[in-house]
Amino acid sequence: MSELLKEISENLQIGKAKIVAELVGRALSEGIPPQKILDDGLLAGMGIIGAKFKANEVFVPEVLVAARAMNKGTEILKPALAAEGISAKGKAVIGTVKGDLHDIGKNLVKMMMEGRGIEMVDLGVDVPPERFLEAAKEHGASIVCCSALLTTTMGEIKNVVELIKSSDIAGKVKVMIGGAPITRAYCDQIGADSYSPDAASAAEAAEALIS
Amino acid sequence: MIIIGEKINGSIPSAAKAIAERDEAYIRELARKQSESGADYLDVNAGTPPDIERETLAWLIGLVQDEVDTPICIDSSNPETILEMIPLVKKPGMINSVSDEANKCERLFPHVASGEWKIIALTCDDRGIPAAPDRKFEIAGAIMKKADSFGIAQDRIFFDALVNTVGTTPLAQVSFTEASRRIKEAFPGVHLTSGLSNISFGMPCRKAINQCFLTLAMNSGLDSAIMDPTNSDMRAALYATQVLLALDEDCVDYLSAYRGGLFGVPKKP
Repeated sequence: MSELLKEISENLQIGKAKIVAELVGRALSEGIPPQKILDDGLLAGMGIIGAKFKANEVFVPEVLVAARAMNKGTEILKPALAAEGISAKGKAVIGTVKGDLHDIGKNLVKMMMEGRGIEMVDLGVDVPPERFLEAAKEHGASIVCCSALLTTTMGEIKNVVELIKSSDIAGKVKVMIGGAPITRAYCDQIGADSYSPDAASAAEAAEALIS
Repeated sequence: MIIIGEKINGSIPSAAKAIAERDEAYIRELARKQSESGADYLDVNAGTPPDIERETLAWLIGLVQDEVDTPICIDSSNPETILEMIPLVKKPGMINSVSDEANKCERLFPHVASGEWKIIALTCDDRGIPAAPDRKFEIAGAIMKKADSFGIAQDRIFFDALVNTVGTTPLAQVSFTEASRRIKEAFPGVHLTSGLSNISFGMPCRKAINQCFLTLAMNSGLDSAIMDPTNSDMRAALYATQVLLALDEDCVDYLSAYRGGLFGVPKKP
């Protein structure tokens, strides 16, 4: 049984989406608990990809195909998880701040966080502070992730932090920030809850924040 | 090729450090080296938070102008900042950039309509940075219409059809060159430029991709690039491509760049 889960993880890592979907189906029919398939198969595989990405052993296109394979597997697994009343570890909303159209980094973070079993609500680019707040409330998210690539738009991150900290969900929702011009010092200065220098670290930090 | 030197940019960590420490010598050296390597314009981007962007840019512009005569390319995503910097610049250079976002064209065009300032125009708008050539072309058309209405001649506009990252967008180069070709067809007087290195983000050995992209894009009419002119690999690709596209009569530029040590290692006699 663990052999099958290992196979899922390995095929996910090399982006074999079809095979991952088949193997997940087989694991279900063999009676392996869906949570176990998720944790020890899919998320285990993405965890390894994340670590290798951080160590420059795999690169963006490889992360993309692995994430695609994970999504195929998750599609098969979802009904079984739902039937057992198993929900995601946590929920986060993510977006690129107002005035900023860059989304490559944001999309990588989203994928890495999904790879840690976190449900992601993607607000896209050019997201005003109010939209982050509304979405966090609407979806009951415990994390808000803000990305900015431009030095001229990083100030918008501060606006998001201030809006959330002064709202009725202050304290219940953590704000994570990142993007090329962002530093830990800036994070501390504006009172955000977490800064990550890369997508894999962001996913680790998110997991730590919700557990 | 019209080369816009990209190195004085606060989003590059080493330059950011020099800017934070107000390291004059470092900035002067970046200006001088890029000029000596053939930069036609020197891009200057503060890369700081908005509250100190203007003072930082003013300091950088002052230093660069003191060190070299190469025209300056004022780089900020905030049109108000660009407007404040224009009077500080001794001779007309470039503004980097306008796009079809918000009121950027409307804000900047009236101030540069008369005169010699060149304008970098990005094919993005309030809906984002499109990957599809159709949308890139459509945005270029919208910007060109605005430029026309201010009487700005085509040859003062440098379109950057914003290449996507090939690691996430497999058609990045194909879409870029198609959009660039169509822009040039519709507006024959404009220049085509590119912030080349975005294409290789997240990939190992980025220079291999950057060099080949430069070549392919030049083959589709790219006549300008925002790049590191001090990088000898990129320069080799640039001069060699000019020769191969018959843009370098009698290989004069290639040979003089080679003799000047801009690329390649001369053979010992």
